[in-house]
Amino acid sequence: MSSNSSEQSPPPAEKKPFISISKRTFVVVTAVILALLLWLVSPFLFHRYPVQYTDIDEHFRYGSIGGENSDGIPYWIIKVLPTVFADKLPGEGYTSLGFIQEPDHELPISFVRSTNSFNFLGIEALGIEVVTENCATCHVGTLRSSPDDSNPQIISAMPGFTVNLQGFIRFLTESAADDRFTADNLMPFINSAGAHFNPLEKLVYRFLVIPRTRDELLELRHDFSFMNRQSLYGPGRVDTFTSYKTRRYGFPVEKLAETELKGISDYPSIWNQAPRQDMRLHWDGNNNDPSERNRTAALALVSPTTIDLDSLARLRNWLNEIKAPPYPYAIDRTLAAQGEVIFDSNCASCHTEQGSRIGQITPIEEVGTDRGRIDSYTYELASNQNLTFSGITYQGVDQRFSHYKKTNGYANSLLDGIWLRSPYLHNGSVPTLRDLLEKPEARPKSFYRGYDVYDQENIGYVSTVPAENGKEFFLYDTDLPSNYNTGHLYGTDLDSQDKDALLEYLKTL
Amino acid sequence: MSSTENQPHSGKKRLIVIIVTVFLSLLISGVLVTGWYSLFRRTPLATFKTPEEHFKYASIGTEAVEGIPYWIWVVLPRLFPEKLPDSGGYTSLGLTWEEGNEMPIGVTKENIGIARVGVNCAVCHVGTVRKTPLSKPTILLAAPSTKFDAQRYAQFFFNCAQDPRFNPGFILPEIEYNHHLSFWENAFYRFLIIPQTKKALLKRSEEFQWMENRPPTGSGRTDMNPLKITVLNLPDDGSVGSTDNMAIWNQKQHQGFSYHSDGINTSLREVVLSSALGTGTTPQEINLESLNRIEEWLQEVPPPVYPFDIDHDLAQRGAEIFANNCASCHGFNSEQIGQVLPLDEVGTDANRLLHWTASASEAMNNYADNYSWDFSQFRKTDGYVAPALDGVWAKAPYLHNGSVPSLVDLLNKPSDRPKQFYRGYDVYDQELVGFISSDPAAQKSSFLLDTTVKGNDNSGHEFGTELNAGDKKSLIEYLKTL
Repeated sequence: MSSNSSEQSPPPAEKKPFISISKRTFVVVTAVILALLLWLVSPFLFHRYPVQYTDIDEHFRYGSIGGENSDGIPYWIIKVLPTVFADKLPGEGYTSLGFIQEPDHELPISFVRSTNSFNFLGIEALGIEVVTENCATCHVGTLRSSPDDSNPQIISAMPGFTVNLQGFIRFLTESAADDRFTADNLMPFINSAGAHFNPLEKLVYRFLVIPRTRDELLELRHDFSFMNRQSLYGPGRVDTFTSYKTRRYGFPVEKLAETELKGISDYPSIWNQAPRQDMRLHWDGNNNDPSERNRTAALALVSPTTIDLDSLARLRNWLNEIKAPPYPYAIDRTLAAQGEVIFDSNCASCHTEQGSRIGQITPIEEVGTDRGRIDSYTYELASNQNLTFSGITYQGVDQRFSHYKKTNGYANSLLDGIWLRSPYLHNGSVPTLRDLLEKPEARPKSFYRGYDVYDQENIGYVSTVPAENGKEFFLYDTDLPSNYNTGHLYGTDLDSQDKDALLEYLKTL
Repeated sequence: MSSTENQPHSGKKRLIVIIVTVFLSLLISGVLVTGWYSLFRRTPLATFKTPEEHFKYASIGTEAVEGIPYWIWVVLPRLFPEKLPDSGGYTSLGLTWEEGNEMPIGVTKENIGIARVGVNCAVCHVGTVRKTPLSKPTILLAAPSTKFDAQRYAQFFFNCAQDPRFNPGFILPEIEYNHHLSFWENAFYRFLIIPQTKKALLKRSEEFQWMENRPPTGSGRTDMNPLKITVLNLPDDGSVGSTDNMAIWNQKQHQGFSYHSDGINTSLREVVLSSALGTGTTPQEINLESLNRIEEWLQEVPPPVYPFDIDHDLAQRGAEIFANNCASCHGFNSEQIGQVLPLDEVGTDANRLLHWTASASEAMNNYADNYSWDFSQFRKTDGYVAPALDGVWAKAPYLHNGSVPSLVDLLNKPSDRPKQFYRGYDVYDQELVGFISSDPAAQKSSFLLDTTVKGNDNSGHEFGTELNAGDKKSLIEYLKTL
C-alpha cells in the first residue's frame, strides 16, 4: 500500500529507489499478487450462511439451529473420521451408530453442513465449512413392518431410538485421543476425499483446524468422562442434564456424586406441543415453558450467543402443530372401543388433556419407577441455570431461564402416538406396551434396543432380535443403575381380556 | 511527512492540523463518553414491591465500592471451579437461589456503568432448612445463614485474581459464550474492565490479609474485622472474633435489647448502618432509604415456626422447666433478657469479647461525624448478651461462636459436647434439634469446626446441664415452640 502512494507522488530525483521498475510492471505485479491473495482467501471469505430450508421438515432434519461457531466440527474432519478410525465404529460410517441416511443426501439426518466464522475483536469474519447437529439428532426415527421391508419409513419428531449418541460422542472423542489424529495422518485422507484445498487452506487445516479440533474434542472427552462411571446408554437414550453441568456450568467432572449419575433416559417424541403448553415438561417435569425447554435442548449443540432463535421459533411453531402419525396397521375397532372404557377408568386422569392430573408430577413414592433421573437433576444445577440466556431477548421476550424447578417425581404426559414411543417409561426400560401392563417382575429382565421392525402383537419395536445382517443391537440390562424397570403398576392388575382391549385402544392414540 | 513540509503547504498544513484535532477530540470524547457510560452511568435502582423481596435483593450501596462486573461474576465459577469447595458454582459457598430468580438471595445486581454485583444484609441473614437431603430448601427470612461462607466467597475472588489466567484471553471467550459483546464492549472489557477488576481484587485481598493470619470463620460465621480494619483503619491486633450470624427478626419485641453478641450497641439504626459499612458500602455510597425500609420491616418480621412435629403435652411440661431454669435470663419479661451477662458468669469463649475493643467503639463513635447520620452508642462491655429465644430452633449452632451444634448438645456438660462437627449443612436434625452436623452428607462442602481452635471453645453456659434426661427432653420440646 505504501508503495502505492509513492507511485502517485514520485520520489524526488535525489532519492532514487533501490530498484527502478516501470509503472506498468508495478500495476501488473500488484494485480497478480492481489488476485493470488483473493484466490487464497476466497474459500474463507465467501462462506455460506447457516443453512435454512424452506421446507420445514427438511429444515428440521438438515437445517441449522446455530451451533456453527460454538460446537461445529470441521466438515472435512467429520467426512474422513469414519475412514481413518474405522476400527472405532461398530460398522461402516455414521449409520452404524444408528444415524439415518436418506438416499438423496450426502450426510445422514441431523448432520448440518454449514459454515462457521471466526470472531476477531467482536467482528465476525472468515470461516470454514463445519458440521453441526440439530434437533433431529435425537428426534427422528424409522419404522419397518417386517425384516423384509427394505424401505424404512422415516418419521420426524418421534424418539430417535436408533441413534447411539453416546457411541457418536465416544467415536469423536476417542478418535481425538488416538495418536493417529494428526495433520500428517488426516491430510492425505482429506485430499483423497476430494477437498481440493488451495495452499492457504492446506496450511490453515494443517496448523490450525486439525490441532484445534483435536484440543476441543479432548476437552469434550474430559467433560463427558462421567460416562465412564455410568451404565451404557445404548441407542435412543442420553443422560440429559449431566453434560450441562460439566460443559456449560463448569462443575468439575470428578466431583459429580454417584447419585447424580443414574439419570440416563429415553429421547421423547416432540410432536404436538401446543396442548403441552402449561404442562410440566421433561421427564421429571422440571420446567413448564416449552420454549425454555427447547432452548435447553438446543444448548447441548449451541451457545446462548450462537443459538439461532429464528430457526428455533420456526421449529417450535411447526412442532406445536404436527400430530403423531396414526397407527399404520390393522386395528380391531370393536375391541378398541371396549378398551376406551378401561382407559377412561384406569389411565385417563393422568394421561388425557381433560385428566385432572395431566401435566402434573406424580411423586416418586407413588409412581415407583427408577429414581435416577430425578436425582440427576439437582438443586445446584437448577440454581446455575438461572443465569443462562441472561441479557438476551428475542421478539421482546427475555430469554433468561426462569422456569426451572427441582422436583421429586415424574411428569404425567399425553399419550399421543404412544405406539411409536417404545421402549417405555422414562428410561426406556420396558420394551412394549404389553410388557408395561405386566407386573415389574414379569417384565423382560433384558431385551434388545435399536431394531426398527415393529411388533404388532406386543405394541412396540421388536426387542428379542440380537442382530440383523451383521448389525448388532444393544442388550439392555434392567439390573444396571439407571435401567430399573420397576414402578408404574397402573393397569397391571387388569385381566388379560381387558389388557387386550386396552392395548387395542392405545393403538388409536 | 516533515521532510516534505515547505511554505506553500502551510495552509494545507493548518487544514490537516484542524482535521486531526477535530478527529482526535471526537475520538477522545467518544472514548470518554463510552467510558463514562460503561463505568459510571447510574440507572435507577431495582425496586421491589414487598419488603421481603427488598430485603433479599435490593441494593444497600455495596455495588460501586466492591461490586464485581456482572459478567465476570457469572463466568468465574465456570472458569475457576477448582477454587470452590465443591461443584455447583456459588451454591458451594452456601448461596441459595430461589426458583427462577436470576440472583441468589443476598446478592444484588445494579448498573454502575456496566452491571455490577454486590451483596446486602440477606446474604448473612437469610437461613434455609431442609427436611431431607432431597427436599428443597425452605427460606427463613431474617434467620442466620448457616451455609454462607463470607470469607471463602471473598477469597474465591481474590484467588481468581491472583491466578495468572485472570486475563482477557481466558475470561473474554467465556463471557462471549454467554453474552454478545460489541466491538467497543469487547475493547472495554479487554483493556479496562478485566484488568481493573483484577487490580481492584488484588488490592482488596491485601486489605483482607488479616484473614490469612487467623483461623477461618467458616460457614455461617463472621467477625468484626471488616469493620475494625477496612472501615475504621485500625491496626490488625491479631484477635480472633469468630461469631455466628445472628437472627434479626421480631425487633419490636426486642426493644431496649443490646445488639451484637457482646452487646456493644443498643440502637438498631446504628447497628444496621454499621453492619452495612462492614458489608462493604461506604459513607458516600450507603443507601439510607433502602436500609430504612429494611429496618422498619425487621420490627415486624416474625420468627419462623418450627416446621416439624411437636409433642405439645411434652412441651407443656417443658414450659415449667423453662420457667424455673431459663426464664430469668431468656424470658421476655426478665430483667436480664437482651442485656449483657458478665463473662465469668456465662463462661463461654472470651475471644469475641476481647476482639471488640474500647478503642474500636471510640473510633466508631467518631467515624461519621460529618454525615446526616452518626454513631454515638458504641461501647465496650464485659460479657455476652442473654438473647431472646424466639425462633431458637433456627438459630443453631448455638452459643455466640456457634460452637455447639444442637440444643441437646447445649444441655450437656461442655466435656460431653462434640469436639468437632460440620457446620453449613441445612438438613434439620429433629432428634438433636439443630442442623445435621456429623453424617457424611454434612461433611460434603461443609466446614469442620474444631472446638480446640482459638475462638471456637464450646465451654460455658452450663445452665440446664444438671437437669435429668426427662426434663431435658421436655425442655427441648418446649424450645421448639418458641
